[in-house]
Amino acid sequence: MTSWIPLAAPAALVSTIVPPAYAVQYLSIAQAQKQAFPSATSFAQVDARSWKAQSGGTVLGLVVVDHVIGKHLYIDYSVAIDPGGRIKRVDILQYRESYGGEVRDDSWIAQFVGKSSASALKVGQDIRNISGATLSSQHVTEGVKRVLAAYGNRVR
Amino acid sequence: MATASDRLRRARPLLGTFVEIAAAHAAPDLMEAAVEDAFDAIARVHRCMSFHDPASDVSHLNQHAAAGAVTVDPWTFEVLETAVELHRRSAGVFDIGVAPALQEAGLLPGPTCLRPPGSLATSADEPIELLPGKRVRFRDQRVAIDLGGIAKGFAVDRALDVLREHGLPQGLVNAGGDLAVFGAEPESVSVRHPLDPHQYVCHLQLAHEALASSGYCLDLCEPSGVARRAIIDPRTQRPPAAIAGVSVRASSCLMADALTKVVMIQGEDSAALLDHYHASALVVSMTGEIRVTPGWLGGQNLAA
Repeated sequence: MTSWIPLAAPAALVSTIVPPAYAVQYLSIAQAQKQAFPSATSFAQVDARSWKAQSGGTVLGLVVVDHVIGKHLYIDYSVAIDPGGRIKRVDILQYRESYGGEVRDDSWIAQFVGKSSASALKVGQDIRNISGATLSSQHVTEGVKRVLAAYGNRVR
Repeated sequence: MATASDRLRRARPLLGTFVEIAAAHAAPDLMEAAVEDAFDAIARVHRCMSFHDPASDVSHLNQHAAAGAVTVDPWTFEVLETAVELHRRSAGVFDIGVAPALQEAGLLPGPTCLRPPGSLATSADEPIELLPGKRVRFRDQRVAIDLGGIAKGFAVDRALDVLREHGLPQGLVNAGGDLAVFGAEPESVSVRHPLDPHQYVCHLQLAHEALASSGYCLDLCEPSGVARRAIIDPRTQRPPAAIAGVSVRASSCLMADALTKVVMIQGEDSAALLDHYHASALVVSMTGEIRVTPGWLGGQNLAA
């Protein structure tokens, strides 16, 4: 039978370990564009934060780059929208927090892929709402919803 | 030491958190393709096992399995097999049937309590019947399941399998702090103090191993942060009170994830179950005391 061992964690030692600010660059905007629409031959800038993916004369979709505040600092992400106005994929581009990493949440966020702006995508309905906790993954969900509302019918 | 171009790291919002997948020491094209497929595996788990998606296996089961057997995805069946086994071995402490209590606590949306207070664990029969042909039947119409306490770990394992199957030598999958690694290079992981996110409890080197954490208010694993966790003690229908946070090391993330729930509820009484699964644990009490099983200190689990 296993016996439990008290872990000697001297208070002085523990308190000196201060988690540093945390930042991860996952993808550049150009990489995110290419990943979302690998067959695109060009990405024509539409406005300050969106690009139209094209192959020859065909519009393959739209890539929108946005940021939301995480727990303390900004999270940059991209939303790829298909010509039908549905989400093709969501990528985190850059993640920053003043300590540690992302807020974690035991809930299940609604599947982004296939959601159109007509879908509810509401906290507590599609998405579990955990009271009292600021959830940065939830902030991304809300951001995706705003992006879809603003750009969902502008792909063509 | 690998060069920057020798590594690839991607993150997407899935499973109600950020899922990070990393690969190293392979051609960039190979790593891109493998990571893409690994995200697809996570998305499949999400589709099958979401409590919220009305098209998921879990929703189908909750609506129809009391009336007759429901055929589910082989992955859902596999998770249910483990859940039923753990329910038995933990004498009912691990219970995927706590969805009604979570709903009542406001941690899951949906109809108010589908069944009166009192746990399925008190019933002599296992309330979930697993039948040939990946079919599942509930013995009681009051049963409602939530796989939130186990499916995230399973998703990590499946994604890691995909990286391996693509022939990558090194990989990591981290679903909001539930993580698993393979490859020759150990990964450094810091376990955050559940009572103070500005402190770490310890630093670990993980190789060919999984780590999962649960906390009362905070999540323990880097990178992760603050969230109130949805753990219910099926015996009291209330969240556990004595333990602030738990981390479990095991050979699979499915088992690490599931065992954190048992240890959160049972505390040191969970030692035999941890031994059975060759897992080790770190427990932080609400008063800040830290205790570990011997395997945790050794850094090696007994699993072959």
